[in-house]
Amino acid sequence: MTAAEGEPSDVGENRAGEAPTTVAPPTATEETTTTDAGSELERTIGLSGGISIGVGTMIGAGIFVFPGLAAGRAGPAAAGSFALGAVIALLVALPTSELATAMPKSGGGYYFISRGLGALPGAIVGISIWLGLVFATAFYLVGFGNYAAAVLSEAGVAVGSIPIVIPPGLPTGAFLTALNLFGTERAAALQSYVVGLLLTILVRFLGFVGLDIPKVFGSASTPERFAPFGAMPVFTTAALVFTSYLGFAQVATVAGDIKEPGRNLPLAMVASVVIVGILYVTTIFVATSAFGSAALASFGETAIVEVARNFVGTAGAIAILLAGLLATLSSANASILSTSRAVFAVSKDAIIPSFAGRMNLKYGTPHIALAMAGGPVLVLTATGQVEVLAEVASFLHLVMYALMCVALIAMRRNEPEWYDPAFRVPAHRLVAGLGAVSSAGLILFMQPTSQIIGAVIMVASAGWYKYYASDVRLKGVL
Amino acid sequence: MSDNTDDGDDTGTAADAPLDVDAGSDDATPELAIREPPVVLVPVEVLEGATLPDALVSFLAPARVIVLGYHVLPEQTPTEQASMQFEERAQAAVDDIAGAFVDAGGDPETRVVFTHDRDQTLERVAAELGATAILLPNPTGAVSEVLVPIRGTIDDDRLADLVATLADEAHERVTLWGLTDSPGGFDADAAAADAADRLRERGVTEAQLTTETATTETPIRDIVERSTDADVVVMGEGDESILDALFGDDAERVAEGAVAPVLVVRSREPEADDVEDSDEE
Repeated sequence: MTAAEGEPSDVGENRAGEAPTTVAPPTATEETTTTDAGSELERTIGLSGGISIGVGTMIGAGIFVFPGLAAGRAGPAAAGSFALGAVIALLVALPTSELATAMPKSGGGYYFISRGLGALPGAIVGISIWLGLVFATAFYLVGFGNYAAAVLSEAGVAVGSIPIVIPPGLPTGAFLTALNLFGTERAAALQSYVVGLLLTILVRFLGFVGLDIPKVFGSASTPERFAPFGAMPVFTTAALVFTSYLGFAQVATVAGDIKEPGRNLPLAMVASVVIVGILYVTTIFVATSAFGSAALASFGETAIVEVARNFVGTAGAIAILLAGLLATLSSANASILSTSRAVFAVSKDAIIPSFAGRMNLKYGTPHIALAMAGGPVLVLTATGQVEVLAEVASFLHLVMYALMCVALIAMRRNEPEWYDPAFRVPAHRLVAGLGAVSSAGLILFMQPTSQIIGAVIMVASAGWYKYYASDVRLKGVL
Repeated sequence: MSDNTDDGDDTGTAADAPLDVDAGSDDATPELAIREPPVVLVPVEVLEGATLPDALVSFLAPARVIVLGYHVLPEQTPTEQASMQFEERAQAAVDDIAGAFVDAGGDPETRVVFTHDRDQTLERVAAELGATAILLPNPTGAVSEVLVPIRGTIDDDRLADLVATLADEAHERVTLWGLTDSPGGFDADAAAADAADRLRERGVTEAQLTTETATTETPIRDIVERSTDADVVVMGEGDESILDALFGDDAERVAEGAVAPVLVVRSREPEADDVEDSDEE
């Protein structure tokens, strides 16, 4: 607790008498941050590490969970839904990049919004993004459960029809939390290898399919209208599958650890959206062309496995099954880590009690924050509701995205002295304006259940702020 | 952080090249002086309760010492979070160690770093400081025997500056030990003799010096075995090889097996400006 004594009167205190802690000014040095007390914080994540965080968080959902669901809703136009999601994600990624290079600190969207718009919007976003990530993690774990079940049935183990999905997800969630609690020395390096392996499998798979174009276009089921259910499902499907694009903002949550943040942050965010966007759209296009959306929908969450089986045979099915296990696991793990960082960011600012950001010296891990991630994840995983989990996660993220765009416009309108981003969004009003409107607009296309749950979480977050930390001021505080 | 008084980067000698066998001819201006006052980086894993033996502190005190307290975090922990909670403890612990150097007559600087990657941090700080050598600590008693295995690339001027600064006539004896893998290969005799010349130029007395050579296929193991007789080992970084990724570099392997602390003499950066850009993964 070093710097809090500085000017406590400026920033206020919460109900427990804790003031926001400033560790270091957001200096944009290439390799280190220097704290007020003179210690150095080494930046250790390079560009490839940043991209693998982004891609690793996203790739689990779009290819390995959604193709069947999306095709069932929108027909072949589901590819358009994914493309729409990619465009919105890019519109948000650009403003996020600018904010992240101006404030290369851990905390991501919460940090930008609390500094740009003030403590109330900050608190709403900070607390609801914690829960948003919890929902996302649970969604990935349910996806993992689907793959684990599919692997078992592939191996010939007879399983009942429904309940097998949840059991593999639960112990896996507990295992990932424990793994992070007790310190995994090279977690990020491992993540990079996993992402590399996944990309290799997918690109080879798509390449293989690409060689087989006549089969793609000539299959019996192909003649199908592009949007058999009209335009509306394209948007509702985009709202559903937007969960596939939540990862890029996670790059910003590790901004404090990224080397040369001015260069690497924007590149990592934009590159990861572009990479997964291309993979998603191509995969959906191939899958719907090969099977027809009705057949694809009947395969459910593991539809892509059947696509692989059709093109590459059993070996392909097994490769994609394993890739699905890895991808959903990597997404779940990355989300648990982001959750713990989100908890730390709000506890540092005294929005929630500071003990939530405490670390365990023996293992060097933020054990309370990790528990606050892992605990609720298990509860939600047990529900097994893929679509609602995905949509609530998207809802809470989209609110953050819209507010980040607003925060950018606010920052630019009245630039503080310290505001010196290495990357500036061209035509920022247009880009950020479109980003904000489209993010908010996507929320309107969700199921009512998801909208209600999301709104309740936001209201509860605001209520918590009013109760616990209404005196805390964060706007413009570095 | 005190400033960098006379780093000696202005020596500008052309003798920066790795030890060449026919050396001894470049002594146009022999002077009994240190060319480049040695800078020794002393990394301490500070929150793990690591300390330095007193004998080692007084041995190192004549050099410009930088005590680098570092704490390695698992990747899931933001460095910022760790610094909030442990910064004061880390700085206090580093100041304690620095105090020991002050008591021994030194004037140490201190730095505290929270990192996910120890090697990256050591490399960066050493490059920033233009450090002559990095200490890989091990327990030791009073220092009287300094073992200097020479087996190829080593910055011989830096080596000589370092050893001549640290080895005090009254207490420490220096053994230069040339090692080669085959009689036709690296000329260990010439290398050891050359290093001895350079040490004498800098005021190390004949009585302190011993020069030996040996032929061996397992130099690392031999150095480790011999380290039982030594109190400090001074060696070069060694050539980079693919084995490094598996087993750590030569010096680290020696430090792991040896009972004595190891001072690793860093090769000079080719061009100080290039170092910054070469760290991309």
